[in-house]
Amino acid sequence: MKLSPLLTAAAAALIGGAGMSLMVQAQEPEGELGVQHAECALFGPEGEPFRAAKREQYQQSLLTNQILPLIGAYKGRRTAAVERNAAEPTGTIDTHIFRALADNGVTPAGGTNDYEFCRRVTLDLTGRVPAAARLIAFVQDGAPDKRAKYINELLESPAWVDKWAMYFGDFLENTEFNNQVRTYPQGRNAYHKYIRDSLVANKKYDVFVTELLTATGPNSWEEGELQWFVLGFMGGGPAQDIADLQAANAAEKFLGISHENCILCHDGRRRLDGLSYWGISETRREGWELASFFNKSQMQLVRVDPANPNPYYCRVIERPANTPDYALNTTTGNRPARQPIGTVRNIAPNYPFGDGGRPRAGEPYRVALARFLTADIQFARASVNYIWKQYFGRGIVDPPNQFDLDRLDPTKPPPAPWTIQPSHPELLNALAREFQQNRFDLKWLMRAITNSQAYQMSSRYEGTWRAEYERLFARKFVRRLWGEEVVDAIAQVSNMPVVYSVTPAGTDPVPWAMQLPGTRGLGQATVPVEFRIAGIANTYANASLLDAFLRGNRIEEERRNDGSVAQVLNLLNDRYVHDRTRAAGAGATASLARLVLNKYPQSINDNLLINELFLSVLSRPATEDEIRIAQAMLNGTSGNTRMQRVEDLLWSLYNKVDFIYNY
Amino acid sequence: MSQQDRFDRMVDKHPHRHDFFFARPHWNRRGFFRMLGAGLAGTVLLEKPAIGQVIKRNGAESINRAKYLLMILLSGAPSHTDTFDFKQSPSTPMDLLKPETINGIAFPTGLMPKLAAAIPDYAIIRSARSWALQHNLGQAWVQIGRSPGAVLGDIAPNIGSIVAAEKESEKTPTQVFPTFLALNSDGAVGSGYLSATYAPLRVIPATAGLPDTVNPDGNARFDAKFDFLSKLDGSLRVNSPYGKALEDFDRFYAEGKGLMFNPTVDRAFRFTQAEAAQYGNTNFGNACLLASKILAERNGTRYIQITLGGWDHHRNIYQANSLPTRCRELDNGLGTLIAELKKSGVFDETLIVMMGEFGRTTGAITAQAGRDHFLQQFVFMAGAGIKGGRTIGSTNATGSATAETGWSRDRDIRPEDIEATIYSAMGIDYTSVRYDDPFGRGFYYVPESDKDIYAPVKELWG
Repeated sequence: MKLSPLLTAAAAALIGGAGMSLMVQAQEPEGELGVQHAECALFGPEGEPFRAAKREQYQQSLLTNQILPLIGAYKGRRTAAVERNAAEPTGTIDTHIFRALADNGVTPAGGTNDYEFCRRVTLDLTGRVPAAARLIAFVQDGAPDKRAKYINELLESPAWVDKWAMYFGDFLENTEFNNQVRTYPQGRNAYHKYIRDSLVANKKYDVFVTELLTATGPNSWEEGELQWFVLGFMGGGPAQDIADLQAANAAEKFLGISHENCILCHDGRRRLDGLSYWGISETRREGWELASFFNKSQMQLVRVDPANPNPYYCRVIERPANTPDYALNTTTGNRPARQPIGTVRNIAPNYPFGDGGRPRAGEPYRVALARFLTADIQFARASVNYIWKQYFGRGIVDPPNQFDLDRLDPTKPPPAPWTIQPSHPELLNALAREFQQNRFDLKWLMRAITNSQAYQMSSRYEGTWRAEYERLFARKFVRRLWGEEVVDAIAQVSNMPVVYSVTPAGTDPVPWAMQLPGTRGLGQATVPVEFRIAGIANTYANASLLDAFLRGNRIEEERRNDGSVAQVLNLLNDRYVHDRTRAAGAGATASLARLVLNKYPQSINDNLLINELFLSVLSRPATEDEIRIAQAMLNGTSGNTRMQRVEDLLWSLYNKVDFIYNY
Repeated sequence: MSQQDRFDRMVDKHPHRHDFFFARPHWNRRGFFRMLGAGLAGTVLLEKPAIGQVIKRNGAESINRAKYLLMILLSGAPSHTDTFDFKQSPSTPMDLLKPETINGIAFPTGLMPKLAAAIPDYAIIRSARSWALQHNLGQAWVQIGRSPGAVLGDIAPNIGSIVAAEKESEKTPTQVFPTFLALNSDGAVGSGYLSATYAPLRVIPATAGLPDTVNPDGNARFDAKFDFLSKLDGSLRVNSPYGKALEDFDRFYAEGKGLMFNPTVDRAFRFTQAEAAQYGNTNFGNACLLASKILAERNGTRYIQITLGGWDHHRNIYQANSLPTRCRELDNGLGTLIAELKKSGVFDETLIVMMGEFGRTTGAITAQAGRDHFLQQFVFMAGAGIKGGRTIGSTNATGSATAETGWSRDRDIRPEDIEATIYSAMGIDYTSVRYDDPFGRGFYYVPESDKDIYAPVKELWG
């Protein structure tokens, strides 16, 4: 961390903000390659005011402010909000969150009522909406610990595995091909199966990551854990490029440090000055010391049919033990030249974070790396933070892959204008330590999060909301449902299921979109025979519906929260949605619309019919206004039959914003 | 030979420039002064954008001739020496390609007669060269105008999304068509870090028109239930304190409804078999047909991307169902499209860009009677006032490397230069930087390089 005189001058020039930046550039030695991003005082701490202004576009609170009024005036007067014991918040999360709120003089939002909580936590933990019967039983339950019990029930349900297998598939970027390599549907499915099996067994997260980092084996189509290494392949260059990408991937996903990718091309100084205080003093050599852990491992393609280059699977092996270490002898490929440093021609592995560490004699390098990495407190921090974001809408460090290691310790703050990075540094460290103490148990972590009062806060905020409250988690932020959650909810509440085919041909279909092994091309749905309705097609191309909800492709397109015209058109008009409002036809005898029509044939009971639909679809009762409006429609003078009106009412509920959003 | 050795040899076999992928980084003083020479105000570079201003314009002059952009991505990478940079090789079946020299341009009339006749309408860049030989990488590279392997590659929007964001303010309330449309291009790169509002609307042309714009219950019942939905959902929308934010969200519903039961939309997105036959009765032909109708409507669509795949002719390239079929499909579709755009008067305002992700090997064909990946390529440019009937740059006798660059920057033309050309042609300052990216590093519309600046190929306009 020593600052060289040159660095100080450069840093001063940047932070001082004079138009000195181009002069600094002119001093750069010719021919030194670097990915320099325009030297400009707009980066770094000086750029903070600009970025802060821009960040509004990403703020969860802006979305929440848009959505809440559309959800309606429903204030849950039928059950009391579970009031937090604000005077004595307990538990690590609540202690820190509410103390920070009090310290900043910010009033938090109130609590959720039971309807809101039940729907929210069911979606967040399992990707489903609660069945109406379970919802009502929950609301009517008088036990004081019913929320904790319900959370445990959800954690043990099969749907928990479905949702988090989809999450980890996204996180680990499991796909049948990326820009560098093909894994084919077989490889993608094997990886998905490995993830599912790990979740079923509640495999501890450090064990899971260790398996991914150290996997060797003859067939990536059979041992899904090999896919982590396979998907980290980089072609068009020397083997060192592969080791570099493996290091960058591990640093990003398991340590939350995406800037490692930058370090593997160049030193941090004069290039990361605006981005990472820790990064400024990192050198490319330290990046190599991490990459070196991967240097003795190799992936080989194995053709399925020797005469055809495609398809292929992969084997991952260790090179002979006497293979020289990461060599500084490249001049071509994907990264700048690697040339000897003085007399040093090879780089031995040395874990560049935490307490460091070198492999023991005879220890396979990746085994050593997994050992150091999972013991590193940063692994616990990053992992906790990634999961935190799924429940709270933003990480304690956000974006969660941009950790700045030298800005995390509140007892050792960085020099101005750098600030402490996490919104709640003590909370992050405490949760990280507890995660370690609880053996990296993901269910423990999710249980701790969902049981907290901070998580159980309402998304409605009384009083004036300000953008700076967002970092304090002063309210719950809304999120739009995943595409898989939308189509599965519609199938579930309507009692009109479908099954989804999975490539390659011959693979068993799955009954829920959330069980699909990938996010690209999949979604072809068929109605099971007993639910078919004569005269209409019984297949749906739900892939385009799922794509409209921006499930991403696990390469360059991430899963997104945004709305779009395509989503609206699908909900308004798509046959899949439309057919799930039907009350007539052999396949609809048990449909929701048919059930309520049978149960409430007389319009005198319309209020009960309406409420039952609301409870089933929106997981809450209707407000008085909503009942009045819906009753007027059901008894109106249009030419439609009562059945058609009920179908239209159900259709409206699928299109209501509080169906599409989790609040 | 082991699998790994074979794999390594395959990688070695394809000659690629032994340059760094990341050979486009930093500025030095030389670069700075060259930029000044290119007509940019140097002092402007030292100014900061005002607080709250997201986009910093660095003052490049724009060519500003195109209102509309049609990007045709020839995925799989067509053989340039058998198409738009024709070179006779020992393997070339002359009776199949029937090459002619038109306007001094050697052209395989046998493969693409309509486009041969249309040579006066377009220009061919022959000094173009790709950076990488991998399909997905190269295709993404063309669509985002920068390396997808770089850190910013992960979040980079499609060029069309930037155009959609730039042109949003020009859209009038009656213009209901999607600003950015992807036809037969389901794999198109999306809006990256930009809002999904600017993502392409992905459509597979079908005689029935735009999907999900017809409610199964018909117009009357739909209107009634949409009204009901608005009442049920909207009692708090009137006099809402949230104002503009609510309008933004409502806009999706308004836009969606605007596309439904809309004769203008139906007219543009539906087609008959007779119309499809004019364009060759192929998927690509249908996409060209739709593009022609949609552009003629001038109803809000500004950027259309069409993908025509199937050019990866590693084997049997001259077999009837390989290159000749692909070329016929291209010829019928694009040839008719150009003629129709001229008829409807929109050709002079539409820039057509057509390219693959790289070219194919030159000289004699391989042992599999095909051509493999190769960096040298062509770029086809038409419309928007481009002077047609000529080439920009030229290659050597075999087509394996640039002989004359043909433009002011005097080097190979790269996807980044094509990107700059697109922005400039559409009146967008191609040196703009957006400061709303999630990394906080600034997103450059056209990335920077240490070797030279990327710039528009102004020579296309004379």
